[in-house]
Formats: sequence, C-alpha cells, structure tokens
Amino acid sequence: MNDDQFFDLAMKVIARQATEAEQAELDALVARQPELKAEFQRLQADVRLAREVLPLVSASQATAPELPGYARGRLQTKVQETLGRPPVPGKAAEEDALGTLWKWRWILGLSAATAVVALFLLPVFTRSAPPMIQVAMLDTAGATRGSGTNEASLLHQTWEKAPVDSFTGTEALHAWETNWPAQNKRPVVKVVFDRAAGEVRILGHWKGESFTKTFLVEQDLASTLEQAKSFIKQRTSQ
Amino acid sequence: MQMPDLQALQRGDAAAWDMAFPWLWPAAFGAAQVTLQPYFPAEVEDVAIESLEALVEKVRELRSVEELKPLVASIAHRRAVSLLRERFAKKRGDGKTGTPEAVQGAAMIDCPDPTADSPLAVLEQKELAERLRRTIRELRPPTDAIMMDRFINELSYEEIARKHGIPVGSVGVYLKRGLEALRRIWSRREES
Repeated sequence: MNDDQFFDLAMKVIARQATEAEQAELDALVARQPELKAEFQRLQADVRLAREVLPLVSASQATAPELPGYARGRLQTKVQETLGRPPVPGKAAEEDALGTLWKWRWILGLSAATAVVALFLLPVFTRSAPPMIQVAMLDTAGATRGSGTNEASLLHQTWEKAPVDSFTGTEALHAWETNWPAQNKRPVVKVVFDRAAGEVRILGHWKGESFTKTFLVEQDLASTLEQAKSFIKQRTSQ
Repeated sequence: MQMPDLQALQRGDAAAWDMAFPWLWPAAFGAAQVTLQPYFPAEVEDVAIESLEALVEKVRELRSVEELKPLVASIAHRRAVSLLRERFAKKRGDGKTGTPEAVQGAAMIDCPDPTADSPLAVLEQKELAERLRRTIRELRPPTDAIMMDRFINELSYEEIARKHGIPVGSVGVYLKRGLEALRRIWSRREES
C-alpha cells in the first residue's frame, strides 16, 4: 500500500465512513508498520484543525446575510466617535457644502467627457492586443536543484517573452501577485507555478474583470502549462 | 459588492463605512455563528455588531483592505469564544434553574466546553487574523470547497468528485495538499 492509499483509508476511518473490512485493513497495516500509528494520529489532528478553521475561512468569504437596518445607526455613531472629525458649524458649513458641490460638478463634467473619448478610442487600442504575461515560480525548498531548472526552462519555453521570477517564500510571492501594472489596454495575466502544492495558478485582469484558475499538475508540468496557456488564450480573446 | 477604500475608512468617511459595513457583516456574523449557534443563537447578531465596532477601533492599524474580513472574523470568533466560556463558567458556578436561559445552561453543564481544547482558542486575536488571512490566500479554489465538502459537509470521495467534476482519484490529492497547507500555517507559532 502506498502513501496515497493509506491517506484515503485513514480519511475514511477518521470520518467514520469505513466499512468493517477497511477498518480491519487499517488496523492490520498499523500493526505491521507501527510508524503509521503516529501518521494516523497526525492526520486525526489535521482533520480536527480543518473542522475548526474551515468554517471561519468560509465565514470570512461569505456574502450573506444582510446587515440588519437597526445596526447601521449604531455603527455610524461608533465611526463618528472613534474616527470622525467635528462638524463644521453654521455658515462655514454652507460654504463648505457649496464648494464641494462645485467641485463635484467639475469632476462629473470631466468624467463624462473622458468617458466619451474613451468610448471611441478604447476599441482601437484593445483590438487584438496580446496579453501581458508575467510568470513566477514558488519553490519553498530553494531553487538549486536540477528539476527546478528544468521546470523554469519549461516555463520559459511556454511563454517565451515573459521573464520568470523565482520566489522561495509565500510573502514575497503574495507581494508579486498583488502588484499589478498600470495597464488597461490589454489583458494582464500572472502565472504562478507552485512547486510544493504541485499546481499552476492563473490570475488575470481584463476589461475590468478579474479571473483565476488553478491547474493541478497531475501528469506532467508541460501538459499542465499547455492547459494553462489555452485557458489564458480563451479568456483574453473574448 | 465593491471592496471598500481603506484610506477613506481610516479617515472616518461615513459613506465609505456605509458601504463597508454590509460587505463586512457576513464575515462577522458567520464567525460568531460558528461558535454560538448551538448554544446562544440569540447572541450572534450582538456579537457581530460589537465585532464591527471593535474593527472601527483597529482600522488605522491595517495596511491592506484584504486584512479587513479576516480581522473582523477573528474578532468575532474571539468574542464568541469569550462569551461562551463566560457563560459556561457562570452556569457551572451557580447552577440556577427556572429561567429559559438557566434551562439552556443546565443542558450546557452536561457537555464539555467546546472551546476548551481548540487550537484556535490559544491564539491571540491578531495572530488568528493573520493566520486566517494566510489560509484564505493559500487554500485556493477548488481546494477550499473540496475540503469544506469533506470535513464539514461530510461528503464521500465519490460525491465530491461528482459535485466538482474531477476524477475520484484527485479528491485525496486535493485533501492531502489542503491539510498540509493548514498544518504549515497553523502549527508553528513563530512563523505568524
């Protein structure tokens, strides 16, 4: 039995979805290889952690329910008390409001004019513009091994014009991932090969929309990169 | 819903907060609900509102708008855990009977404090927020959804494969990588 089969069997037992035969198989395996007992206990702890963390992760990304109406006033009072500036009294407030009104008229006028110009010019610039592609490789184990070099050259081959940045830490990679060039005339796409996770992530911006997709490296990196390339082509030619 | 402008929030811009509160509410409410729903469902909304108020006090410490949701979720989680512990301790201490709350409390006496051995409960709120932010960043789709389906919704490998349109053999791969990521993020204190 290999690691993956042991993992899947352990997952079934931990979830209490194993049959009697599967439970017996795991017991026998642990009896034969005592080191698997520690691994099984570690997986139990991991699953327990997942059961605690995942609902919080899910809550942090939730979009419902709606804020109850009665809470708004109380919360705005808190903002005013904690961060708010004192209100401008009497005439000064009126002048301030008038000034703000004129400022907004100017901004709205200029915005409208800009929008009209952009409406005519944008199609000229965006037609058939190739995407700007940036490529990065995350190798938390360090970039000194031969396989890392091969993977970097595969990335080079797939996107010839794009430089390949290498990272050994997720913080630096995150900074790279969130640093988007001021570019709106053509699609911008970031490709990240995460060596430890065995996946290729695509993050892109085009026509005011963001898109992401993750490809697992299931067979080999070259075919995964081809899938990623096709996906980019499909998303940026729309 | 649009992401709020952090600088406007830090300036105390009422309009920016008016947009931000509905955007943040699900995170605050959901995090409080995770802990309190089985015992004190009526307290969930109050804890969520208090958490948003606490966030207002901390907003000037933030550097990125992406920190907002994990922070408010971690504040709500900590407050919910505190409230639960406080109520558990009180019920064990005086063992009142008669009022509806006391009846609920009597049921609580028979069950152990659900937060007692939680690995999350020992973390400081700031540390919890940071780890939550890292988890959201590293557990990318579809790994997060597959893990939810397995460990929270308790679907089988076959059901998960059908739902996500992936081979059954890939389910374990996603789960293994997801669990490894969680272990990496949550097990070492010094890294946060």
